Amino acid sequence: MRTISLIVSMAGIGLFMLISIHGRAQSPTDGFTMSKGEICLVTDYGQTKWKEYWEGTRLRENLNLGTFNARMIMPMAGYGVTGKLNLFAGLPHISTSSTAGQMTGMKGWQDLSFAAKYKLIKKKHEQGTFYTFLTAGFSFPVSDYIPDFLPYSIGLGATTVNGRVIVHYEHKSKFFTTFQTGYTLKSNIKTDRQSYYNERQVNSSEMPVPDVWDGAFRVGFNNKRFRADVDYNWSTSTSGSDIRRNDMPYPFNKMDAQWIGISGLLWVPGVEGLALHAAADQVVGGRNVGKAFTWTAGVQYVFNPFK
Amino acid sequence: MKSIIYAMAIIFVLASCNKDVNERVVADFEPSNIDSLGGTWKTIHLVSSADIAVPVPQAINSAAYKAELDQIVSMQQAMGTEDNRIINRWKNSGVIRWNEVARELVSVYNIPPEANPDGTYPVPSAANPGAYPKFPFANPPYASRAYAYLHTAMYDALVTVWKYKFQYKRMSPAVNDSRVKSLETIQSKLPSYPSEDAAVAQVAYRMLKVLFPNDTIMLQQMASEQKRAKMMSGTASATDIAAGEQIANAVADKALARLRTDGMGAAVGNPALWAQMEQDAVARGNTMPWKSMELPARPMMLAMFGNVKLWHISPSQRDSLRPEAPPPVGSDQFKKELEELKNIRRDQNSREWQIALYWADGVGTYTPPGHWNEIAALKVGEEKLNELRTARAFSLLNMGMADAAICCWDTKAYYFSARPTQIDGSIKTIGLPNFPGYTSGHSTFSGAAATVLGYVFPTSKPKFDAMAQEASLSRIYGGIHFRADCEVGLRCGKAIGGFSVRFGEKDGSQ
Repeated sequence: MRTISLIVSMAGIGLFMLISIHGRAQSPTDGFTMSKGEICLVTDYGQTKWKEYWEGTRLRENLNLGTFNARMIMPMAGYGVTGKLNLFAGLPHISTSSTAGQMTGMKGWQDLSFAAKYKLIKKKHEQGTFYTFLTAGFSFPVSDYIPDFLPYSIGLGATTVNGRVIVHYEHKSKFFTTFQTGYTLKSNIKTDRQSYYNERQVNSSEMPVPDVWDGAFRVGFNNKRFRADVDYNWSTSTSGSDIRRNDMPYPFNKMDAQWIGISGLLWVPGVEGLALHAAADQVVGGRNVGKAFTWTAGVQYVFNPFK
Repeated sequence: MKSIIYAMAIIFVLASCNKDVNERVVADFEPSNIDSLGGTWKTIHLVSSADIAVPVPQAINSAAYKAELDQIVSMQQAMGTEDNRIINRWKNSGVIRWNEVARELVSVYNIPPEANPDGTYPVPSAANPGAYPKFPFANPPYASRAYAYLHTAMYDALVTVWKYKFQYKRMSPAVNDSRVKSLETIQSKLPSYPSEDAAVAQVAYRMLKVLFPNDTIMLQQMASEQKRAKMMSGTASATDIAAGEQIANAVADKALARLRTDGMGAAVGNPALWAQMEQDAVARGNTMPWKSMELPARPMMLAMFGNVKLWHISPSQRDSLRPEAPPPVGSDQFKKELEELKNIRRDQNSREWQIALYWADGVGTYTPPGHWNEIAALKVGEEKLNELRTARAFSLLNMGMADAAICCWDTKAYYFSARPTQIDGSIKTIGLPNFPGYTSGHSTFSGAAATVLGYVFPTSKPKFDAMAQEASLSRIYGGIHFRADCEVGLRCGKAIGGFSVRFGEKDGSQ
């Protein structure tokens, strides 16, 4: 089966600005695999923007920010070590800006992430096939970008480790459904700031970044020519404090979001292994994050040099 | 399926890794010196320590004092783990502990109010402190004033405490009675009547509850806890505590009388005064008066703060300390400084950015004066100053910075000069303060602070001067000040700090 869609896990990205990319993470989090020896190369371009954000649980605008924008270029690669074990790597480049205010936007290469996806269970039934996957991954910043300048920071600067379970069912009608959930541990970070208020005065340049529990539920249709699906996603910080009224956001904030998305993939007729894909999603609920709309589009090419 | 469960279990075990961070703390220390003549030092709010009459304590062989000791003995017999925790919390300098409390309160309240829907801005009200925006807005000028009142009142109280300690020479319960255990290190040669801890606790409570009225209950609990800790540890008896409180209340009355009449109530100003301020600056030759870059436009922060009563500088001295006008907009010097700002590296990982953020101390923090207070606290710990000398250091430092704030705000209002971003919209910043640029507040605070700390801790003077220089430059790096704002601000700050130093030089502590 050659149904491969690969968009890298964006777990390292600051939720405040880019929450909705994270959940689109298809490869380490989806229910599809590459076969042995296959290589998949992907480049995506995406934009996210928001005008309103949740300050704690209060949705508000900020005239001194206007509309927040982030642009992303996301090169990624996948490799089928075997039909059961796939490896992934990705490294986004991000730039941020806003339409109002006096603060400087930022740009740079963000976090390099690696993930391994292992097909634990495959059970064929009369009506379809049931799969279970386990995913483990880690990420770390590749540049000295500044995490403590939200919402303009391009990432949170933490080194992360994550584990994930994916349950996937493909019906013989070509409809499929996927449920996945994972937990991401995030390291503390070093900031230039020497002290900060995180529910109490902290005299340190070290800052905690909350761990994240996230997941998604997805249904879609997938055949040899195209794939389309809709998804519901959530991401919850397991610690962290709220943005205080009219204060700035910080990496230690509790950043939660729920969003719904659609995505599609089209195999280009006549070009073996080449596909176009696009996705869009909207944050529908959250805490200390932007109410973001995000779209991405890209190309992917799958080939097997060892055949 | 089992392996899935195991995998998840491992992840959740790892997840229990805590999120604690390494914090800078003042190391435990025992003071190196007693300063038995401290009661003669020159006071600030009081004419002298003799202003307050403290009664002769009961003799140590009296029945009344014996009853006090019995009380401590029974307290110590009934002690639990919570009591040990409290003793431990207050065993070091109370002055520093309360300085930390003040810094935390500033961080809580240092957030500018959000605009009203009609585009105006609400002003916090001391009469209704709990309503949004909560009182106070502890911006840098407010914070500098708060730190100064807290620490000058503590200093006066401790000078008075020292006078009576060495006049009456009644030692601590643990020294006077072998039944009383000494549960913390006690300076055995330092008399205990009146209790310096009670004086510090009571001054802090009295001053901070006026400056941060929403937190009165927390402050009272902390003050009570400190006093109780000293009784439990065998450091002070009930009348030692009461005498300390008596002194503190008398000093606080004086300090609060000054606070209520120092002009802070008029520091916000009103639209007519703001317009007049701008007109006056234009009449003096400013061709591009400051405009708020915020949306909606926000009035200058504490526009009339330059009229607040100074600590060691007279209004006419303030006027003579006011620097020359900044380089005129369009002049060669101005163009050169604008060009410098456009060429500053403000990208990640640059030394300039790190310095800008290190000293930013902006919204939601303890402010630049708070930063210098922390620097002072760490130094006091290194130098092992006793409680009186600690109070003196913080008092001189914070009077210097409060005077710096007042003089600097006077200059800002007088020249009403634009920030770089107002001139050239392509300049972006680390976050733009909402008041005129000339002179830089950070530079003025830092010049004053380094001058005072360099006097109090002469061996570290070069280090403090270098820090002030860096704090000053940080504002150029942050994109929010011209070089002239910073260089002139630093120069003025040093001169302003000199007034506080000259007070210190003649206060009798040498």
